[in-house]
Amino acid sequence: MTESKIPVGKRARLSVYFNKRLAQYYWERLQKNKLSLAGMGFIIFLMLLGIFGPFFTQDPTYSDFNLANIPPLGFSRQESVYDIKTNEFITTVIEGRPDHPLGTDSKGRDMLAMLISGARISLLVGLIATGIAVFIGVVIGVLSAYLGGWVDNVLMRFTDIMMTFPFFLLLVLIVFLFGPSLAIIVLVIGLTGWTGAARLIRSEALSLRTRDFITASRALGASDGRIMFNHLIPNVASLIIVMSTLSIPGVIMSEAALSFIGLGDPMRTSWGTILNAGQHTLDTAWWVAVEPGIMLFLTVLSFNFFGDGLRDAFDPQASI
Amino acid sequence: MSDILRVRGLKKYYTVMAGLIPRPQGEIKAVDGVSLSIAEREVLGLVGESGCGKSTVGKAIMRLEEPTAGEIIIDGQDVIRLNKRELRQMRGKVQMVFQDPDASLDPRMTVGGSIEEALIVQGMSDAAERMERVGGLLDKVGLEAGFAELYPHEFSGGQKQRIGIARALAMDPKLVIADEPVSALDVSVQAQILNLLMDIRDRDGLAYLFISHDLSVVRYISDRVAVMYLGKLMELADKKEFFSNPLHPYTEALLSAVVRLHPGGRERILLSGDVPSPLNPPSGCRFHTRCHRAMPICPLQEPEFKEVSPGHFTACHLYG
Repeated sequence: MTESKIPVGKRARLSVYFNKRLAQYYWERLQKNKLSLAGMGFIIFLMLLGIFGPFFTQDPTYSDFNLANIPPLGFSRQESVYDIKTNEFITTVIEGRPDHPLGTDSKGRDMLAMLISGARISLLVGLIATGIAVFIGVVIGVLSAYLGGWVDNVLMRFTDIMMTFPFFLLLVLIVFLFGPSLAIIVLVIGLTGWTGAARLIRSEALSLRTRDFITASRALGASDGRIMFNHLIPNVASLIIVMSTLSIPGVIMSEAALSFIGLGDPMRTSWGTILNAGQHTLDTAWWVAVEPGIMLFLTVLSFNFFGDGLRDAFDPQASI
Repeated sequence: MSDILRVRGLKKYYTVMAGLIPRPQGEIKAVDGVSLSIAEREVLGLVGESGCGKSTVGKAIMRLEEPTAGEIIIDGQDVIRLNKRELRQMRGKVQMVFQDPDASLDPRMTVGGSIEEALIVQGMSDAAERMERVGGLLDKVGLEAGFAELYPHEFSGGQKQRIGIARALAMDPKLVIADEPVSALDVSVQAQILNLLMDIRDRDGLAYLFISHDLSVVRYISDRVAVMYLGKLMELADKKEFFSNPLHPYTEALLSAVVRLHPGGRERILLSGDVPSPLNPPSGCRFHTRCHRAMPICPLQEPEFKEVSPGHFTACHLYG
């Protein structure tokens, strides 16, 4: 008879939420999906950029009109100035410069610094708002499914009402009322975005609730709280992870859209703000709009690929 | 011998709701007046077709389903009147083994954790003591103590069922309700599990309520056998008496369907038709629609469940 070296109690409690061997299995499955790995790589790159980048770049709000509209490194732009004295156009060619590798915008702000600042804002908004939304969704979904009856009815009707709310209009209204600040934008996105999560978690928890291991726990005399935290939530954990990953891009797009229409936090440079600035100078300085566009595109795509990969890795029935 | 369990007039009705605005449309009488008792160290086999309410009897005894009416006395206490705390104590005395070993263990928890949960819930606060007990329990069901750290998917069906039994035994119960504990297993494994259950009974002095649809299994393990049909008991007798001298026509039909090594003797009685809907059970004797010995009185009057010879109960007009 072999004796286990680690106290069963400690291990058992810990491993409800983390199981090393299972994690390894999921990681192996995830590795088979190359797109998903690429997405994960880009997300990690973006996170590093958002965390450490701002320490190495200049202030994204610093503007120098002498250095306006410098093209990215490797590109050039022709500028024609009408000279009154000689009565003719003087055409100069402006080349990209190594100190502004991604160019500058019409106010002479460094694009690289702005994009890095934008990465930080986008990730911050995406992660925190999704965190809030998923947290509320899990609480409402699990309670609704587990308690059932009138609690379920009330919570689900409330969810239905929240779902029919035109979220963007609400956001515009609140930003208009309370002023545009990042905290308010994050809160509003988080507090309105939980409905889908709640429904998904509820349906999953409903089917789990009737499984025998939940009945067995009840037969042992386990409390409702114990059943929810030790059995229900660990069993929807993979669903929660996938759902969160897939809902981050939507949140990032919402923030960008808000900033684009001018309702973003004016004190922070986000990709949406740069896009907004860029649309006016598309004919002279195309890169101001194109660069944040590419970043948004890649970010959203990465999260979607990564989320898809996670979903397949977690689903034992999916063939990879 | 004193009775560990006494059930009198147990009823469990499910209200059927239907319509746009849900309204009660009728009642499914899953269990309609069942009375039985189990003595200490006794194995009572409860047989019947699927849907006859035998599992509901088991769940009602555990109070996993709230009984509609009746009396359930375990160790002198009326289970139906217990409050939450008393109910938890009672659950140390009565435990359950489930049909599907795959579904009865939490896939996210080590099997040690699943067994340990029983100990935690019942208030064993010392982790080292719990760990020791988990090891002892695994040993008792023929597994190694080191298995505690593995997850359910790492075991075979028979092993999982052993773990389920270990969990049920965690609190030294006096009665174990085994709800079709072997019907999901291979025949070779069935015998092992049945022998294990018998060994444990001999060693620990347990009583079982053994719910099954398999007469040969019931014949092997039971001391007494009860037959249910559409929520009611049809016959209850000593095992020998039951198999050699069945009184109720339904029992006769069931026994004649068992495959025997030496054909001949009893002729095969074929039951025609399906089990009628419990939503609208036949009048009088519930079995009269399929009975090969039905008499004019059968649809009119419900037969009483009474003692025909010592220890042999049946509900049939033939013996009135």
